[in-house]
Amino acid sequence: MLRLIARRVVLMVPTALVVSALLFFGVTQLLGSPASMMLGQDASPQAIAALNAQYGFDRPAVTQYLHWLGGALTGDLGRSYATQVPVATAIAAAIPVTAELTLWAIALATVAAIFFGTLPAAPRVVRPLVTVASLIGITVPNFMLGISLIFVLSVQTNLLPSTGWVPWSAGIGTHLAHMVMPVLTLSAYYFGAFSIVYRAEYQGVIQRMFIRVARARGLSEWRVTFRHAAPNAVLPVITFIGIAMGQLTGGAVVTETIFSMPGTGRLFVASIEAHDFPMMLAIGMLIVVGVVLMNLLADIAYAIVNPQIRHAA
Amino acid sequence: MKHPARWIGGMIIASCVIVAVAAPVLAPDDPYRSGIAMLDLSSRAHWFGTDDLGRDVLSRVIYGARASLAIGLGAALTATLIGVPIGLLAGTLRGRVDAALVALIDLFIALPGLVLALIITAMIGANLRNLVLTLGFVMWPAIARLVRGQALALRETLFVEAARATGGTRLSIIRRHIWPGVLPVVAAQFATSVSFAIFTSASLSFLGLGIPPPEADWGGMVRQGFDYLAINPLLSLAPGAGVSLTVLGFYLIGTTIK
Repeated sequence: MLRLIARRVVLMVPTALVVSALLFFGVTQLLGSPASMMLGQDASPQAIAALNAQYGFDRPAVTQYLHWLGGALTGDLGRSYATQVPVATAIAAAIPVTAELTLWAIALATVAAIFFGTLPAAPRVVRPLVTVASLIGITVPNFMLGISLIFVLSVQTNLLPSTGWVPWSAGIGTHLAHMVMPVLTLSAYYFGAFSIVYRAEYQGVIQRMFIRVARARGLSEWRVTFRHAAPNAVLPVITFIGIAMGQLTGGAVVTETIFSMPGTGRLFVASIEAHDFPMMLAIGMLIVVGVVLMNLLADIAYAIVNPQIRHAA
Repeated sequence: MKHPARWIGGMIIASCVIVAVAAPVLAPDDPYRSGIAMLDLSSRAHWFGTDDLGRDVLSRVIYGARASLAIGLGAALTATLIGVPIGLLAGTLRGRVDAALVALIDLFIALPGLVLALIITAMIGANLRNLVLTLGFVMWPAIARLVRGQALALRETLFVEAARATGGTRLSIIRRHIWPGVLPVVAAQFATSVSFAIFTSASLSFLGLGIPPPEADWGGMVRQGFDYLAINPLLSLAPGAGVSLTVLGFYLIGTTIK
């Protein structure tokens, strides 16, 4: 088990290096000289040369990359071109917002998908509703869902604050009130996806012998489904949660933009609009590392939950 | 009606195609002509009202079907053209080639599609052609992986073994025995890719990084109408419904073929 984890962690290093190099050369070479972009089209050659020298853009690309990599490994990601704030500081402030949003959304999607996928009572009524809800979650884009929620819950009925984000310190109630719609918006897709994965596995599990035995022993239907069937159907969902968490490090982009939340996703969009290279690179790397890390965590969680793998390793 | 989901999906796609093709006939107004009647509410002249530049929203929603379908179909085609040969190659050759291709596929498949598309469009600039190429590039690994899996399973079957034993060349085996088995998977994934491409390009437009204005484009219209949600919600919700329905149509087809 430990060896498995160690090997995976070691394998992460070349992946991260390759992707960082691709990102760096992609961003710096394809986008053209950062200096001419920052100064606009009418800038004089002298001004561009001066700026190039100031940021080190006149050096060979490989030197620039190694310099950037060295800085990144020691926690120095440079300063934002747009705001002059150290990139690391800006990202550190944004991560908690995205992390909280993501965790709530995944938790809600998982619990709802498992609960509604297992629910033994009145399946004829609940089943079609869940199917329609998961279809909506998968096919209606985040921005459409978010805007529809804003329209119904704040413009029409004034139940919730429409956009914006307030820290915990402003009061738990206000903080959570601002989180409701973003969390619902972001979790919808994952609710749909988890429901489908979970349901397929659940259908298989419920046919198995031990379920029949449990029923034959006279256990209540609720106990049979939630105690015996559900835990055995949850494994593929765990793998999927890992993928989802990784994707969400950047997937909250749209949700954060709709609700004006100061998270990494919105920071990323802003950095692209402003051609703010250091910020783009750093958030791009953060997303890649997040994706790889989350997939690893999911595999470990899978191994811990699944006794077959746990004992084999 | 043995497959209601397939029928619904097919009907949605058919209406979308009709709307896109017949846009000049169906649209009551020029989608690009601005007028002095700005942000008018729904009326007999403008069923969905007018936007902040006085353009007829219904006409723009109708014309928006064109951009969405063009990107969706174009990107799915691009992804298929890259993904299928790579998947077939990896699945039938195996060995070192397979390992290298799988590593490449896994690398790209793990990255969030929207983020990858954001970075690439930022680098090469957003227009119809670039969006098609970008989204095709983002989606090919999923197709390649599916095709590879299917090809791997097929190459172990008895009929492929028999073909090999009777002296079939590698190419003829792929063409006559593997490809027909892979085709349904490719067809299903094509439809799913169209839905993903429409979804993602609309999201890019919503973020302000997709098809540039004044093109009638659903994602961009949603973004533009968002500011006037309290005045006329149809500015956002009508094009948003267009995206959602089209995505739903292709998704339903993609999950029910097979």
